[in-house]
Amino acid sequence: MKISYSWLKEFVNLNLPPEELAGCLNQIGLMVESVTPVGEDTVFEIETYANRPDTLGHLGVAREIATLLELSLKTRNWPLKELPQATSGLVDINILDPQLCPRYCGLVVKGVRVGPSPDWLKKKLEAVGLRPINNVVDVSNFVCFSLGQPIHTFDLKKLRGGKIKIRKARKGETIRTLEGQPVELDQEMLVIADETTPVAIAGVIGGEESGITESTTDVFIESANFNPVSIRLTAKKLGISTDASYRFERGADPNAAPAAAVMAASLLCEFGGRVSRGLLDLYPVPRKPRTVTLRLRRVNELLGLEIEPEFVVKTLSSLGLKLREQSPRVWTAEIPTFRVDLEREADLVEEVARFYGYDRIPSAVTPVKSFELPADRRRDRVWRLKEVLFHHGFDEVINFSFADPEKELLWQTGCRPIKLKNPISAKLSSLRTSLLPGLVENAVWNFNREAEGVHIFEVGNIYYWEGEETHRENLNLGILTTGLRSGRTWREAEKETDFYVLKGALEDVCNYLGYDQLSFEPVEHPFFEPGQALKILVKKEPVGLLGLLNSNLARNYDLERPAYCAEIDLNELLRKQPRAFRFQPVPRFPGVSRDLSFLVEDSLTYQQIQEQLQKLNIPYLENFLIYDRFQGKNLPPGKVSFSVRFNFRHSARTLQTEEVDRAMQEITSQLKSTLKIQLR
Amino acid sequence: MSSLLEKIDHYRRLFADQVSRVKEARQVEELRQAFLGRKKGHLTLLFEEFKTLGPDEKKSAGRLLNELKTDIQNLLAELEQKLQSPARVKQLEDLTLPGRQLYWGSPHPITLFQREIERIFISMGFSVEEGPEIETDYYNFEALNFPPHHPARDSWDTLYINDKLLLRTHTSPVQIRVMEKKKPPIRIIIPGKVFRRETPDPTHLPMFYQVEGLVVDRGITFAHLKGTLEYFIKTLFGEKIKLRFRPSFFPFTEPSAEVDIECIVCGGQDAACRVCGGSGWKEILGAGMVDPQVFKNVNIDPEVYSGWAFGLGIDRTAMFAFQIPEIRHFYENDLRFLRQFNRR
Repeated sequence: MKISYSWLKEFVNLNLPPEELAGCLNQIGLMVESVTPVGEDTVFEIETYANRPDTLGHLGVAREIATLLELSLKTRNWPLKELPQATSGLVDINILDPQLCPRYCGLVVKGVRVGPSPDWLKKKLEAVGLRPINNVVDVSNFVCFSLGQPIHTFDLKKLRGGKIKIRKARKGETIRTLEGQPVELDQEMLVIADETTPVAIAGVIGGEESGITESTTDVFIESANFNPVSIRLTAKKLGISTDASYRFERGADPNAAPAAAVMAASLLCEFGGRVSRGLLDLYPVPRKPRTVTLRLRRVNELLGLEIEPEFVVKTLSSLGLKLREQSPRVWTAEIPTFRVDLEREADLVEEVARFYGYDRIPSAVTPVKSFELPADRRRDRVWRLKEVLFHHGFDEVINFSFADPEKELLWQTGCRPIKLKNPISAKLSSLRTSLLPGLVENAVWNFNREAEGVHIFEVGNIYYWEGEETHRENLNLGILTTGLRSGRTWREAEKETDFYVLKGALEDVCNYLGYDQLSFEPVEHPFFEPGQALKILVKKEPVGLLGLLNSNLARNYDLERPAYCAEIDLNELLRKQPRAFRFQPVPRFPGVSRDLSFLVEDSLTYQQIQEQLQKLNIPYLENFLIYDRFQGKNLPPGKVSFSVRFNFRHSARTLQTEEVDRAMQEITSQLKSTLKIQLR
Repeated sequence: MSSLLEKIDHYRRLFADQVSRVKEARQVEELRQAFLGRKKGHLTLLFEEFKTLGPDEKKSAGRLLNELKTDIQNLLAELEQKLQSPARVKQLEDLTLPGRQLYWGSPHPITLFQREIERIFISMGFSVEEGPEIETDYYNFEALNFPPHHPARDSWDTLYINDKLLLRTHTSPVQIRVMEKKKPPIRIIIPGKVFRRETPDPTHLPMFYQVEGLVVDRGITFAHLKGTLEYFIKTLFGEKIKLRFRPSFFPFTEPSAEVDIECIVCGGQDAACRVCGGSGWKEILGAGMVDPQVFKNVNIDPEVYSGWAFGLGIDRTAMFAFQIPEIRHFYENDLRFLRQFNRR
């Protein structure tokens, strides 16, 4: 909202430099966004709030400043040159829906010479960003921006039958607005109609037909009050927002209507107008002023200070509240109708605080009266998981939760996507059902910008419908690795990433979070190349997938390098109970290691060998690890060679060579019978 | 007597002379035998002679003799070390070559900044709460005292899923969810993702992060709000940062405030500053005393309890703190951007 300094001076005597005035406005919450000199005037762009329609006119802002600076508001008389005829003899006003139109005031001004406005008026309007049109329209804008009360002017001769009916639109009724736009009305919309048809959309915009033109001489001034919700719904439905609708939907003051009509009429007298006798004022159910009890104790309790009762009385009275002392330091405050925001005691506390100055309220430490244990350790675990991945060289990304539904279809995620009703664009019109599309896009983005390798992960929600009605959001982990793992240095050649880089990172995540070891099963899934994916299980329950990205998908994103990726359901994983941490005694006796190299059928997987080894009941076998696997070269066809190192240790003594020999014989003979191994 | 002192002096000079001629490790051993040999070493013999002296003479000779022995042992050990080392350790040719560096992945700047904020509040005894990103109109608006069809909703432009469900426009619904479950005292912060129907531009995006704080207890005042937020902002931006509280409007707080901090980019010196527009102040968070209607909506008696709340945009604050010109950088995930935050 633009506020002109010279316009303010019509309501209050001010002689502060503009910068100081801006400081005052900021202090009371009328945040000044800019201060611009316009000729001799200065214009302040102030931020106004949805609950303060009273600040949408210069009078309201002047009232705030006057309260802060302890000045009084100026009053001004608006004299009228009267016609002999009574208003009621010239127009017939009928409120058919008093719910939506609580008050309606009207006056007629005859003999107005429509033409350009005088300079003083043009300057004022231009200063606050309004375009002067003609003296009649400009006067209504001037009144609106002075008092915050929108008024509308009709060409009296265009009102059929001299009738004004405030009613809901009828089915099929249309109107062409002042902007020349044809509008279809519906039965929920309040209109101003003459004898036959709507002539204005109440509180939103006038009709073209009844508008003021060069040839208008007789003007009907409407100064009314409309229901805020009704105006808002109509304006939203029509997509029309005007200075009038903006004020009415925030709640205009019904008691401002008569004065605004008189002010407009008085100004029109300057252009040859004469005013009908007696304001027509229809106000079927006058609004009772609200009262609120205010306790000084409560003011001090909420603000944390000691305020003098005199300050409270002085401030609130200056703002237009009528205070009556109920008991010592407790008041009944009658709220003026222009302050729609003041409803409860807390609202009055804010008024006291605003004018006392937030900066003068002391600062104190919020007392702690109890300690609480964190509700769950989930957040700690998520951070631990991220730390493991940072350690593995993965960078964290955050993508939009939105997805392009067409692109996501390619992924066949198996989840029914949640679509947005009012998306920003088609590409952002549904919510993602997987984290991998985002990661693939990130990889491509970075390859197109000189990256040679991309190793990234994201922790975030996916969203989908479960059944017809139930929406789900699920915390997932997505990981992707593609391209060079490390660049060339003087010590080492460059290294390409591979499947096992990804798998190792996932295994470590589980190790370092204290979960049971992951197990894997081959799986076919649309995300991955056939035969190149594994299902990830913890305690036999599936928690995710990993594998080589499907080449058709990769091509669709113009990703040229092989990408290995995984998606894990973190809700599922983090639900598992980690193993309790137990200290293990540090070994006191030396261990013994033995290596075993053997050939097996190449259809056998490491996991199958591992399962057999885990079944062995060999005393003192501490652990084993695979350190070599190869095929081809000098091996017989269809065979693969594995080399495994076995580590033995006794906790209470040094192992004898013969004991270890016996154990190795046992291992060898068991594997010969179960896996048909051939020693090398 | 004088002869023993003379002998000590003699052997000292003899040793110095011979040691200067040593070229290889073998000679060190020969020298050690000659001077310290168990039977016929020069010093061994001197010690034998020493034993025959009277107590007064022993006093002066003993010290000199021991000194000589220590000096010889040290010099021989040093020499041995020097002569042997090339054979034992391989010499590196160029120590100026770069070392082996290990790449650690980088946390996303939002994660990083969010954790910094969380740490400050956790140190003040707050706990961290989270809530759903898909919300109902009730939690997102109505329970927070936004009447239906009120223009206040315009500032929270909403993405809807259907008539009942929407993407939360702020983290404030979690306030309601926590207060429904838990009785005061409450002392929490709520970080999370929020959504607005905003067309992307350099300072707006349809998705960003917020952190919300809430304290509810008996006797909580606006002064507590000020004290806590001042401490928070000074911890985040440094002791010297200036800040101001000014009145504002939020449906769910009353009185409401906005907090501005001094522009760290121009310090109020640049009338054309891109960050503060020349005002010297940057709006950083919204706050206030919990509105009594909000308390009523969760069955907490506003006559007994009071509370304060605040909300802050993590992205915007991080932009300001790190002087990042465009909010878009956060979600493009360009590694050249992300990896810089490894050094924070």
